[in-house]
Amino acid sequence: MSEPCKWTRRLVLQRGLQLGAMGVATPLAINLAAVGEAAAFDATDYKALVCIFMYGGNDYANTVVPYDPTNYALYHQIRAGTGGEAAAGIALARADLAATALAPSGGPVLTDNLQYALAPELIGLKSLFDTGKLAVQLNVGPLIKPTTLAQYNSTNKVTNPLPPKLFSHNDQQSVWQSNGSEGSTIGWGGRLGDIALSSNSGNALLTCISASGNAVFVAGRDALQYQISPGGAIRIRGIDPTQTNWAALRSALNALITRDSTHLFEKEYAVVTRRSIEFESVVNDALSGVNLSAPTNALFGTGNPLAAQMKIVARLIGARSALNLKRQVFFVSIGGFDNHNLLMQDHPKLMQRLNEAMSAFYAATAELGVANQVTTFTASDFGRTLSSNADGSDHGWGGHHFVMGGAVNGGRFYGTAPHVSIQTDDQVGQGRLLPSTSIDQFAATLARWFGCSVGELPGILPNVGNFPNTSLGFV
Amino acid sequence: MQAQFSAPDADIASLKTEGYVPWLNAQFAAVPGQTGVAWLDSRGHNSITSEQRYFWPQFGDFMIWNQLLTGPDQLRKRVAFALSQFFVVSLSPIDGFYPPYVIGAYWDVLTANAFGNFRTLLEKLTLNAGMGFFLNTKGNLKEDANGRQPDENYAREVMQLFSIGLYELNADGTHRLDANNQPIETYGQSDITNLARVFTGYDWDYLSNGGNFTDVAWHDYDVPNTRFATNPMKFTAGNHSSLAVSFLGTNIPANTAGPEALRIALDALFNHANTGPFFARQMIQRLVTSNPSPEYVGRVAAAFANNGANVRGDLKAVWTAILTDDEARAMPVASDTLTGKLREPVVRFVQWARTAGVSSADGDYEIYDLSGSDSALGQSALRSPSVFNFYRPGYVPPNTGIATAGKQAPEFQLLNETTTAGYINFMQWVTRGGYNDFKPTYAALLPIAHDVPAVIAWLNLRLTANQLSADSLMVIQNLAAAFGVTTASTDSQKLDLLATVAWLMLCSPEYLVQK
Repeated sequence: MSEPCKWTRRLVLQRGLQLGAMGVATPLAINLAAVGEAAAFDATDYKALVCIFMYGGNDYANTVVPYDPTNYALYHQIRAGTGGEAAAGIALARADLAATALAPSGGPVLTDNLQYALAPELIGLKSLFDTGKLAVQLNVGPLIKPTTLAQYNSTNKVTNPLPPKLFSHNDQQSVWQSNGSEGSTIGWGGRLGDIALSSNSGNALLTCISASGNAVFVAGRDALQYQISPGGAIRIRGIDPTQTNWAALRSALNALITRDSTHLFEKEYAVVTRRSIEFESVVNDALSGVNLSAPTNALFGTGNPLAAQMKIVARLIGARSALNLKRQVFFVSIGGFDNHNLLMQDHPKLMQRLNEAMSAFYAATAELGVANQVTTFTASDFGRTLSSNADGSDHGWGGHHFVMGGAVNGGRFYGTAPHVSIQTDDQVGQGRLLPSTSIDQFAATLARWFGCSVGELPGILPNVGNFPNTSLGFV
Repeated sequence: MQAQFSAPDADIASLKTEGYVPWLNAQFAAVPGQTGVAWLDSRGHNSITSEQRYFWPQFGDFMIWNQLLTGPDQLRKRVAFALSQFFVVSLSPIDGFYPPYVIGAYWDVLTANAFGNFRTLLEKLTLNAGMGFFLNTKGNLKEDANGRQPDENYAREVMQLFSIGLYELNADGTHRLDANNQPIETYGQSDITNLARVFTGYDWDYLSNGGNFTDVAWHDYDVPNTRFATNPMKFTAGNHSSLAVSFLGTNIPANTAGPEALRIALDALFNHANTGPFFARQMIQRLVTSNPSPEYVGRVAAAFANNGANVRGDLKAVWTAILTDDEARAMPVASDTLTGKLREPVVRFVQWARTAGVSSADGDYEIYDLSGSDSALGQSALRSPSVFNFYRPGYVPPNTGIATAGKQAPEFQLLNETTTAGYINFMQWVTRGGYNDFKPTYAALLPIAHDVPAVIAWLNLRLTANQLSADSLMVIQNLAAAFGVTTASTDSQKLDLLATVAWLMLCSPEYLVQK
């Protein structure tokens, strides 16, 4: 991946600011006025962007399902190998889709007059669609530039470049999150954090947060990923006076685990530990003042790891004023989507969890009074094949994704619907969708809502200039 | 430390007197310990009762912790654990009958072949029941007239992860570059679609080698015994694709018999120029250093290509080349700020337990999945979240000096504000109290617990290979002295001291980075 933009004075200043916030000596003499002057934007309102990553590659065709009789018949024939409308092979029963059939309130007539239903478990998302809080972006995926099937098949990859390592899990996870294959260290969520850092001068470290494991999406050039557990920040008992009486023990442990070193691995390990210690009380103190109502808490259910992550994100958003934060980017995830086998058994359970977590999260943001200031979107390694391998589907490329929030122009579809086909030129074989909308366009739309200027987009999304439209209109 | 989880006195002594190669050869020749499946049998986990324990996965965790924490065959298990992070199968998604046996039989393939040949190991894993479940070769059917296609999962991952990798490599593991200085991809989608046909026609074998079913009153279906987990998957010609296969320049004619097609395909992967350096570099990363020089990778890859007796894929030669290389054996120097690797949480835990000495009153080894990050290790053996292992070999921790230096640090993928705190808390608890039936004894240290310098020296050698700085040793020394333990102290008081000293060392970055 090429370096999208230069090391600007503004970024240097932000770097100094953030290091200062971490309690590490700053390499530059800076003052807040200088930072303010150089900042990309000094937000006075609050906005948060939340990425839900579905690890493994979500089966698009059983998530947003062809529902009108003609297109359903094509879907059923490809996925079950037979006619009819009963559940068979990896085709859902048409009758089971009636309750989640979508009636758009606007937008274009779709390809082949397609009508869609959501997976039967996505009943909460159907309600959000109906009330205009949820939009569906059709067939989005990584592209370097607009690409036709002929260009995909061309051997001239200089003229017709493709994203690196299509269909490979780890690489496409990285491409979705960072525009680069595995080994990338800067994600577009992190780059959004970079330009928003100066708005969060109180606690710049808390700009980019993962409630899942380490994810490149929330790593910026300057913005660091802060990791939070669903239970809040983890306190080290051995240095906590309320749990460890003996001051000498606390002091010894603290000295050992925070010791600086010339060895870079030791040094960086201690840096993470110091951050953990320093921000634990800041975060937990702020969270202690945020309590969702019992009915809202109950919506998150139990035993749903995605919902647990989204609940702590909601609570952190609830603590935004206490933490003096104006812009935040969050990352949550749910695994298990690599449904090569047992798709009909496993995918509905995942849809149920997604539905529960997203519905509860929207309700929580509404209760906190920030529904219009929080935009949530889904992402995944890739879509899967439309065709069946007996009881599952294989790695694909483009897929359909959701955008949710009070600011979303929901209740309709965006982008171009693919034909329900394993033959047409909007797929590259077995119904692996050739994306008609690029991640760069999808991300640019979200970035502009977040406060990013058009001029700043190429620094975040290096290929965005290859596409005509950087505001798709869904938010 | 590179070769084993811990350093027992006998091994330190024999290394000193015999030297590295004779010591390794003695380890290679040693009789393997009890297998995972044999241990499960010995605990009665194959029982068929109305309690339906055959559905319980946690015995798989108990099995692997027992395997890692006990037995003298440490080198075999240490490299098998490294192999389990290359040829990944995870217990987590395995359900149905006897998940512990499915993962146990997979683990036993690794230990049984750890000192054998890569080609044999690759084939045994390809046909292993656990691998079949994990990557969907189990039940994989040929294409049909309605558009059904073979499952591509194993075909893809056996190339991307288990043999050749994504990009063409030089013999030293560096990327080959094209005329535009770009890496050259090893395969495309067509190679995968073709190779997928080879892996059709396989399924679990419930009936060979004494396999049978028991009619039980509490199900309306019969319950198998555990043989399907240890049997290689069986081949059914009628479910196998008869189409021709063309991948990576290898052509398998239409209607080639399934086993022969498998032989040709696995030979092609085994003999590919990438396989040696691709495997070598990752094994070096698992055992010795995150950033081996190309020369080091090249030397190990050369041993993979030829063990000196014109045998390719001899794993003994690979381990010997990795562990006796000058780059592995060089003493760390202060000016080198990037040598070594971050010890992974599982290795820390096992090293501590084997060093402290552990006992189990009832032999259960009731240690569960320790993957939780806020109050456990944040990593658990044979519990990788996906086939991509706990961390990627090319992981670069963002916003660090390591990234600035252009270096990799795979194990840092597990490190964040939650896991660093969770690990410290977990180890504080476990170093003193153990975990359920499993208790630390500190048997070698109890008699000298009153002698603080001796205790610290003993643990510093065995846990850190004397890598703690003088400052850190002084901090620990001062605190340990304040315990005031004497020969007259109770065992409980002595254990408080010993556990605290061990815990403080285990939390120190100077220990956490193996140099």
